[in-house]
Amino acid sequence: MEKEILEHGFNFNRRRFLSRLSLGLGSAALGSLMIPDLFGGNNTDEEGLTPGIPHFAPKAKRVIYLFQNGAPSQQELFDYKPKLREMLGQEIPPSVRGTQRLTGMTANQASFPLVGSFVNFKQYGQSRAWVSDLFPYTAKIVDDLCIVKSMYTEAINHDPALTFLQTGSQQGNRPSMGSWLSYGLGNENKNLPNFTVLLSRGIGNGQGVYSKLWSNGFLDSIHQGVQFSKGEDPVLYLRDPEGMDRHARRDMLDNLAELNDLAYQEFGDPEITAKVKQYEMAYRMQTAVPEVMDLSKEPDDIIKLYGPDCLVPGTFAANCLLARKLSENGVRFVQLYHQGWDQHGNLPFEIAKQAKDVDQASAALVTDLKQRGLLDETLVIWGGEFGRTSYTQGKLTADNYGRDHHPRCFTIWMAGGGIKPGMVYGETDELGYNIAQNPVHVHDFQATVLHQLGLNHEKLIFKHLGRRYRLTDVSGKVVRDILA
Amino acid sequence: MTKKVKSLAEQALFASAIFILFLLLFESKIVVPTWVQPIGRMHPLFLHFPIVILLLAMAMELFRFNASYAANEFYRGFLSNLLLVGVLSAGITVIMGLFLSKEDGYSGEVLQWHKWSGIGLFYLSCLIYWSRNRDWYQATVARSGAILAVVFLIGAGHYGAVLTHGDNFITGPISNPSVEPVALDQALVFDHVIQPIFQQKCISCHNPEKLKGELNMADVDALLKGGKSGKLFKAGFPDQSLLLQRIHLPLEEKKHMPPTGKTQLTADEMTLLALWVKSKPDFKKRVIDLPPTDSLRRIAATLLKPAEQQEVVYEFDAADEETVQKLNNDYRTIAPLARESPALAVNLYNRNTYSVDKLKELSDIKQQVVSLSLNKLPVKDADLKTIAQFENLQKLDLNFTDITGKDLKELAALKHLNTLTLSGTKVTYADLQKQIGDFKSLKTVSLWETKLSGPEIQQLQKANRNIAFIAGFKDDGKNPITLNPPQIKNSSTIFDKPTALQLKHPIKGVEIRFTTDGTEPDSVNSPVFNNQTVLTDRATIKARAFKDGWFGSSTATFDFYKSAYKPDSVNLLLPLNRVHQAEGAKSLFDHKLGTFNANSPAWANNWTGVRNNDMVLVAEYKKPVTVSSVALRIMVEEATGIFPPGTVEIWGGDSRDKMKLLTTVKPKMPVKGETPSIPNVTCTFKPQPLAYIKVVAKPCTLPEWHGGKGKPGLVLVDEMFVN
Repeated sequence: MEKEILEHGFNFNRRRFLSRLSLGLGSAALGSLMIPDLFGGNNTDEEGLTPGIPHFAPKAKRVIYLFQNGAPSQQELFDYKPKLREMLGQEIPPSVRGTQRLTGMTANQASFPLVGSFVNFKQYGQSRAWVSDLFPYTAKIVDDLCIVKSMYTEAINHDPALTFLQTGSQQGNRPSMGSWLSYGLGNENKNLPNFTVLLSRGIGNGQGVYSKLWSNGFLDSIHQGVQFSKGEDPVLYLRDPEGMDRHARRDMLDNLAELNDLAYQEFGDPEITAKVKQYEMAYRMQTAVPEVMDLSKEPDDIIKLYGPDCLVPGTFAANCLLARKLSENGVRFVQLYHQGWDQHGNLPFEIAKQAKDVDQASAALVTDLKQRGLLDETLVIWGGEFGRTSYTQGKLTADNYGRDHHPRCFTIWMAGGGIKPGMVYGETDELGYNIAQNPVHVHDFQATVLHQLGLNHEKLIFKHLGRRYRLTDVSGKVVRDILA
Repeated sequence: MTKKVKSLAEQALFASAIFILFLLLFESKIVVPTWVQPIGRMHPLFLHFPIVILLLAMAMELFRFNASYAANEFYRGFLSNLLLVGVLSAGITVIMGLFLSKEDGYSGEVLQWHKWSGIGLFYLSCLIYWSRNRDWYQATVARSGAILAVVFLIGAGHYGAVLTHGDNFITGPISNPSVEPVALDQALVFDHVIQPIFQQKCISCHNPEKLKGELNMADVDALLKGGKSGKLFKAGFPDQSLLLQRIHLPLEEKKHMPPTGKTQLTADEMTLLALWVKSKPDFKKRVIDLPPTDSLRRIAATLLKPAEQQEVVYEFDAADEETVQKLNNDYRTIAPLARESPALAVNLYNRNTYSVDKLKELSDIKQQVVSLSLNKLPVKDADLKTIAQFENLQKLDLNFTDITGKDLKELAALKHLNTLTLSGTKVTYADLQKQIGDFKSLKTVSLWETKLSGPEIQQLQKANRNIAFIAGFKDDGKNPITLNPPQIKNSSTIFDKPTALQLKHPIKGVEIRFTTDGTEPDSVNSPVFNNQTVLTDRATIKARAFKDGWFGSSTATFDFYKSAYKPDSVNLLLPLNRVHQAEGAKSLFDHKLGTFNANSPAWANNWTGVRNNDMVLVAEYKKPVTVSSVALRIMVEEATGIFPPGTVEIWGGDSRDKMKLLTTVKPKMPVKGETPSIPNVTCTFKPQPLAYIKVVAKPCTLPEWHGGKGKPGLVLVDEMFVN
């Protein structure tokens, strides 16, 4: 009897279990009807987004990034700190300095005397933004600029900081910002590379820039930055070899394409068609590039606007002018690097030269885009990889001092591309060491740039080695306060 | 309730519990189909059932273990059924709620509170229902369970009400009217910027009831009337206005407003009031009617909500994807503005392939094109008619095209056109002035580098206030800038035979003046460069550029070196410093010169250097040459310990083994604080034929005054010249 009762109990439980199970499964199945992509294969979120089309209507179509490599000192350019002059030579209070990790260059320094700017500041424009006397031309266009004084980063040395700003990671091997934009937005002009790089060097202490900064990382190699050099051949190996004319080149490409097509029929490797496309693009670049690089047709006003150096290849001014021409011709991302801002010592002398090199041309670029009605759709960014310390590096003398690397705050400016003009965003404390208001992390900055180009930084994703990568890694939020 | 119905209801309850769990787990992936949405929308209707039923059931559960009720068969049966119906209705409500929350417009913290308190209530009630007949389920458990459930119930109900009716719905009528920030594009200067300042800082004393100083600031008429001391402000003159005078009096002054102890005005508020009085108060003016650069508008903008971000909605349908694909080619890019946007942007490139047909071909997508760029293409006046077919065009780029402007009116038919760029075209004032008024929604026109003069553009601006005309930069000659220095065109500054000096300047029409004697060139006395100068020996050329309308350039200095005999082979006998390897011995005769900053590996390129041993170089000539000097181009940078060699010995002879010492030179040592330089160390001796030359440069010992005293100095040489 006991056995029967027990069995009955089991039977009962089994029935209950099965009926409950079916109910449970049934409701889960019902719910699954509400997930549209459940049975759609590997059509997951990020792959559902066709790369090459913005996620939402963009404000900016193109970017020109005037990278000031070496980290310009914000204290001498935009971040006016009269208190530093008052406290000249006094030790920076430990409460301000906190636990900030220092570079090997000042970590063993016995004292950290504060030093104010050797140059004076004035307020300009409707926005009453403070700009130093080193930047007379920039001062005239402050009402077109959004000056962000509260940028901060994580790295304290040039290469990691630069790599972090450009690729979202300090270690490198990830795609550069320009590559991400090329991937996310596609070509506007199919006859020019989507992402171009221009280098120049000032008189100041220089830091290297390497091609890993404009690498496509794990993205398709068509998104790699193409460096335009200053010599006779702005793009290397683009010219036809001697003895080959346009027709011969065309015939060669046509025949090669036929062969490649045969290979494609046989193997079906998509890289083959990609290669054919690149040959074709190079062919079209052969006419498009010389046209863009030709400065001889620029009117006199342009030369006066950018300054006479704009006709000297390889200078910052020439690169600014070229950047405008490339951008005007639909190049999505033009990346400039101007080296020489690393003023560890001899700062007053060096920074004055550096500032003179870039001031007129940077301002001219903004004015030039504006007078062509292009500033609305072109985002111009000016800034370095980090800031410089409020205290001196090395010896403080009556007319000379230096400043070390400082990640906690630095100043950049942006113009056009749907960024609020005539605005100063963020504040640092009165010693210019910590951020007092509205901090903007590098990832926030990157998210904002992507946002202006119609890309959601959380959705611009590429899956590589089993992980989904973003320019902003796992953080970053759009700085909505500075959007027009 | 019959047993069958009850068991069905219990199964339904179990199913909904699982279903809800599922919905929660996959919440981010769920998309509610349109036909299900009405079910979700019944949430606010249905929720009243669980509230009432569960409240009643929980109240009964509270007393369930009271002896009299526990024995009552009806009480027990009714309660069990009531609880089941209540929990089940709660489940259905939760499901509906989850559906509803997926619709647009629901987000935020309140929603989260509501959602989780509702879900909590549901699962707690389930738990109570399923375990209420267990042994451990006694009076205390029942009571605390019931009370907890009621807490959840109230929570869910409260947050739900806040969601529907907004915060402070109940207390709204009696509490202070809170000021909602108004969107910038809707704000009035007085109502939404100035009045709120009065409201917060003044009206508590200056109101119809209190009337301090016989002043009432609560309404416009009373405000204009002023108070005991007179009118509040004089329009246009903030410094003569009582309002601002009182505000700016020192705080300890009795007449300072607001009085001590009250909240004071902020700096922004004071500026706003002053600007407002200065702008001659107009009570109906909107903030966006002020020019965008106006200070009042700028400050106001920071207080007001940013203008509603309106996603532009296009009324036309998307074009056929295949058609777009087909029309896309190498010189014509057609791309949607964004995913799921029907609007298209079209860019044309390449002067040589452009013809108006390239635009005519787009007739299939003429509705969808909202942006068209024809920058630098040979677009003719007649083509504008074709462009006018793009009825929804908003932005048209005609910069540097061939249009003359006489047929611009063709474009006036484009109702949505807001940006038109005409920079670098041949448009004239007369044509624009006649036609531009016909454009209905035009906001920006760029006219840089056209025939229009500054005053003409101002005229246009005056006549068409809704359009911003961009004049751009025109050099008026009033602010001349400095020319850049001349450059050399010679491929190298090192030559072996007499060679022509070649100077150039990137700007046309520049006059280059130069000197060869080391003096500074000027614009009057120094010779003008005319391509006739021939260099025969080492020379230092100083040159400046001059042109009318520019300041003369700074001086450019070019050092030319003569190097008559390049050795047939060279060898270094001792190793070089690790950083300063350059290209080995070869780089000393490669005609490539180094620059400063050589201590940085990045710029050390052309410098060969030694520190811990001598630099010993042997040069071989297959045919003996007659030599009288050997020069070393070296760097001297005292601060970084780059010093000249202590001694330089030159050896020479007919064979490698039989060389004799020809000369020894001790270069001049730098003094402390000397500016870095790149001089030549020239060693001369009696002219004689030589097949082998040996150069020995010995590092010096750093002097007493130097930071690295006692250590050897770094010797850097980038080139040697044998003459």
